[in-house]
Amino acid sequence: MVIEVIERQTRKWQMVVDVDKCTGCQACVIACQVENNVALNSDEIFRQRRATEWIRIERYWEGEFPNVKARFLPVLCQQCGNAPCEPVCPVFATYHNDQGLNVQVYNRCVGTRYCQNNCPYHVRFFNFWEPVWPESLRNHLNPDVTVRSRGVMEKCTFCVQRIRRGELDADREGRQLKDGDIQPACAQACPTDALVFGDISDSNSRVSGFAENKRKFHLREELGTDTNVIYLAKVDAEAKDRSHA
Amino acid sequence: MRKVNPIILIAISVVGFGGLLIAGVAVFFLFNAWFGLPVGAQAPDQPIDFPHTVHSGSIENGGLGLDCTFCHRNVAEGAAATVPSVQQCMFCHKQITGTSDKAKIEISKLTELSEAGQPVNWKRVHRLPDHVEFVHDAHIRYFSEMNGISASEVCSTCHGDVASMVKVKQVRALKMGDCVDCHRKYSAPTDCTICHR
Amino acid sequence: MTITRRNFLKWSGIGALGTVVFAGCGIPEEELLVQSPATMPEDMVTGLEAWYATSCAQCNNGEGIIVRIIEGRAIKIEGNPDHPVSKGKTSVRSQAGLQVLYNPDRLTGPMKRTGNRGLGEFEPITWDEALAEVLPKLTGTKSVAMITDPVSGSLGRVIKEFVDRNGTRHMALESMEQTVLTRTVRDMFGQEVMPVFDISNADYVLNFGADFLSTWLSPVQYSRAYGEFRQGHGHRGTLVHIEPRMSMTAANADKWHYVTPGTEGLVALSIAYVLVKDFAQDIDQETLSLMTGGGGVSALASYAPESTVDATGLTPEVIENIAHELTKSEHSLVIGGGAAAAHINGLFNMRAIYSLNLLLGNIGKKGGIRFNPEPADFGIDKRDAVATFQDWKTLRDDLSSGKTDTLLIHGANPAYTLESINFTDGAKNAKTIISFSSFLDESSALADIILPDHTYLESWGDHDPDPGPGYQTVTFQQPVVFPFNQDVGRGTRSFGDVLLDLDSKLGNSPSYSNMKEAVRARATKLYDQNRGSVQSGNFEAFWISVLQRGGWWDEKSSGPNEGPTKPITSAEMAAEYDVPNTTAEYPFHLIPFESNSITDGRGANQPWLQAAPDPLSTATWETWVEINAKKADELGIKEGDEVEIASSTGFINALAYPNPASSPEVLSVPTGLGHKHYGNFEIGPDMFRSLVGKGRGSNVMAIINPVQDKDTGALAWSDTKVNIKKTGKWIRLPKFEGVVPPQYEEGLFPIVKPEH
Repeated sequence: MVIEVIERQTRKWQMVVDVDKCTGCQACVIACQVENNVALNSDEIFRQRRATEWIRIERYWEGEFPNVKARFLPVLCQQCGNAPCEPVCPVFATYHNDQGLNVQVYNRCVGTRYCQNNCPYHVRFFNFWEPVWPESLRNHLNPDVTVRSRGVMEKCTFCVQRIRRGELDADREGRQLKDGDIQPACAQACPTDALVFGDISDSNSRVSGFAENKRKFHLREELGTDTNVIYLAKVDAEAKDRSHA
Repeated sequence: MRKVNPIILIAISVVGFGGLLIAGVAVFFLFNAWFGLPVGAQAPDQPIDFPHTVHSGSIENGGLGLDCTFCHRNVAEGAAATVPSVQQCMFCHKQITGTSDKAKIEISKLTELSEAGQPVNWKRVHRLPDHVEFVHDAHIRYFSEMNGISASEVCSTCHGDVASMVKVKQVRALKMGDCVDCHRKYSAPTDCTICHR
Repeated sequence: MTITRRNFLKWSGIGALGTVVFAGCGIPEEELLVQSPATMPEDMVTGLEAWYATSCAQCNNGEGIIVRIIEGRAIKIEGNPDHPVSKGKTSVRSQAGLQVLYNPDRLTGPMKRTGNRGLGEFEPITWDEALAEVLPKLTGTKSVAMITDPVSGSLGRVIKEFVDRNGTRHMALESMEQTVLTRTVRDMFGQEVMPVFDISNADYVLNFGADFLSTWLSPVQYSRAYGEFRQGHGHRGTLVHIEPRMSMTAANADKWHYVTPGTEGLVALSIAYVLVKDFAQDIDQETLSLMTGGGGVSALASYAPESTVDATGLTPEVIENIAHELTKSEHSLVIGGGAAAAHINGLFNMRAIYSLNLLLGNIGKKGGIRFNPEPADFGIDKRDAVATFQDWKTLRDDLSSGKTDTLLIHGANPAYTLESINFTDGAKNAKTIISFSSFLDESSALADIILPDHTYLESWGDHDPDPGPGYQTVTFQQPVVFPFNQDVGRGTRSFGDVLLDLDSKLGNSPSYSNMKEAVRARATKLYDQNRGSVQSGNFEAFWISVLQRGGWWDEKSSGPNEGPTKPITSAEMAAEYDVPNTTAEYPFHLIPFESNSITDGRGANQPWLQAAPDPLSTATWETWVEINAKKADELGIKEGDEVEIASSTGFINALAYPNPASSPEVLSVPTGLGHKHYGNFEIGPDMFRSLVGKGRGSNVMAIINPVQDKDTGALAWSDTKVNIKKTGKWIRLPKFEGVVPPQYEEGLFPIVKPEH
């Protein structure tokens, strides 16, 4: 068992988002909501601007008709190595774990929303209401994921339940985890394969292959958040010359 | 001595008592939360009096000496310990209908449920809150490998000597402190995501 | 009694106020119950997941999916990693399939109409009663029509047998009709099935209106290909999109060109002219002589870019550039569909567009158009029974006049889809309407008897993906959960089973007694062939294996390498089409588009799909209208203004969404909302619950001009002209944009230039 502890610590999960492949199709958005028991976003919730989407597709307009472009940018919790949300939590409900995940512990959270306020990526969502599902829709709730109650912050977990399940399954079968065994719901759904997830400490993993990519950038790199989500820039022949943000 | 308006005296005492009551309630909650008895400690009455002594008690003590895993089949294979299905009970109880009157009555309850295709609504003895996931097989694997014992011998670490219980009750608090103490003792991971997700 | 830390803090806070609340301290009763199941399959381990392979009915191309089952409940849908169409990937629609299965609005058993037709008042009856009611209505009637969605595979075969035997007319309803495309493929390439558009291997894709990343034909397949096209093989492909609206595919293109609606064919011919004039050595001479009748470039002279610019709005430089790039690229591909085909000159447009592929010699080539083989044995092409808009008009008239008096409806919602021709008015005259819908929708509300079908996750079937992946593929569909509404006198029954049951009760002897048998019969055929992805020494092993893998495919069974190629002729080019133009009264082109999530409306009862933001507007839950931002300013329209969009046939209300990407001449509106019955349940926090589908938004298909393509009779859904005016009401548009501040200001988004 001691061996297992060491193994855990050597893993570091990262995600690569190839913006050039993203079509904005929303498959990841819904896959995430299905997997993680995210409360249903009703029309009024959208109108109040309190919709919860752990992963979202941001769309930017560039220019005006007829020379107009739409840009898509998937944004999820960046699992910062140096996370601004962590030090502000008065009850240690959010912390950094040994696999590089920024963890939100729902049963510790008291809902101060300080972390939401401090997150530069706006990927933390607050449960303003008790989540309700019509009785029969409760059947599809994922038993691996806690249903968050009112007054609790929530955010993307890199599908930690899948990571744990993957680790347990490997343990159960007495084998090593291999690249691709664990995939968060968004990456598994993504029809263009724009999202790639894996262990960066494994030099043969697919994510490691992107480490030297020329298109690589981080969101709001200037903040020094040391994010674990790596973006690969959109390619466009008509791109204006402009420096990195 | 200055005369104090009795109304003020009454008011002060009411407020004082009230305050005391509130403080008392607060202390009660606090104690309950940290030291309260777990759900199953009272050994609830079950819809069918199922004596673990008869099924898994040792043969010397008049039991059958069945392995825990004989009925809780998947406990070493998956996260959940699993309560056996009625169908599984009936594998044996088609033949075994009881010797004592008491046993006959209890077994007939089972037979009736089986014929009606109904489940048994057991009262829960060990309960963890929704936001906790306990994985039985990982624990069993660890202890049985470490100590070189069979899966069924591991159960008593947390559940106590169930084989000697006529009515099952919870013996350990099974609160977070309990879990974490043990995880520290055996240098198992104590990351929150191990149990909470 | 235990309390959690959270609750403790909450209660101590309340206690300080002097009100001690004891209620809620305890553990909820259901948590103190642990139920032992009555019976338990041997292979089921509590708490362990099982994955079953089946087929997705939400996308309509037989995509293979796998469903995660925990203790008999479906928890998650993922793409089947083995399946050649999905390869482990899914669309937003397949993801939401669980909300079909567990929809609160599902009918729990057969229903009989009590109120007037169309009011949606029903009483529950048993299956025995229902079948006893239905049978006399099917015997001795004059004329029966069966309306379904396009069906393939065994269900298609069962339906075909039923209709052939009983003299029933079978009509499949496609809301965004592909008839023009089907006809183009048949006439030009001699193919009965859709070809493979090999996007992944192409270097340069010129696309006219086909929104293949969102809803067109086989979006999951094309999205996978698109990913490879972009960053798969080192060389990044270029996608140029020509469409009047900026669709999702247009938004992802390297260059999007606005074209006046209906003139896509002219653009294609202009490109052809430039190809012939400037790059004569690069083009297929035989095609050229067929096209021009031997006249050469002069036959195309009237399509010179300088002459078409006024009509199309595309400058000669753009046309020349496209023609140049097409010839320069080793693997070029031209695709057409969607709005380009939905005009009264649709067939002309499509023939002109696909002729470019012939001129460029893209047929049978890697990165071009490759042909699919015919469906494997016992297969049915789902487009065989598709009826054109003209057919639907005829059916409506037949219903009105009593020539057709009985309707069987399954998987389609004609009362909603065909609102533009008031199908409901015709249907109301029918003597009998029997619906097999799982839900109460606009069409089943008209029915006399509803015999509710299982959902696709509860029933047997198989499907022939069309377009296939380039080889014969059969997706198997098996029940992954027990029927949610179990059949104990009431409950739901599989449509195929009921149809076979009815058939035998009508005195016929159908080939199978139930759908499972029909599917097994298909499997037997495949087993006998002894080829493909699953082969086995005995049938039972084969059967288990195809179910496990979710299908059967034979990568060696490719389609023909070439077929008869018939490009557009000079006579066709010369034909006059009176494509309607905007007028002073109706100054805008109306471009309806299929919603990325709720498609033609069938997803409108699924909260996940309703709440999935539209990729471009990020709007949810409402019908919105996309209007050019400057134009909206001129008209004094701002976001959220309720506007009335009126065509010559009617009007709808929608919320305005001004944006910089719309052409000032175009209004575009998504399909799928405006249901009168569908999605009749509430969701949301207790303080503001709202209905999911019923009474929400408007149905844009209600105001389209009911005209059709001159040659095929297909609905020309892009040929409607409208005007817009404010109603004076303002309703906040529920959209995702603005829920969180954007990550990047405009212009700071890092974008790199391609490497050459």
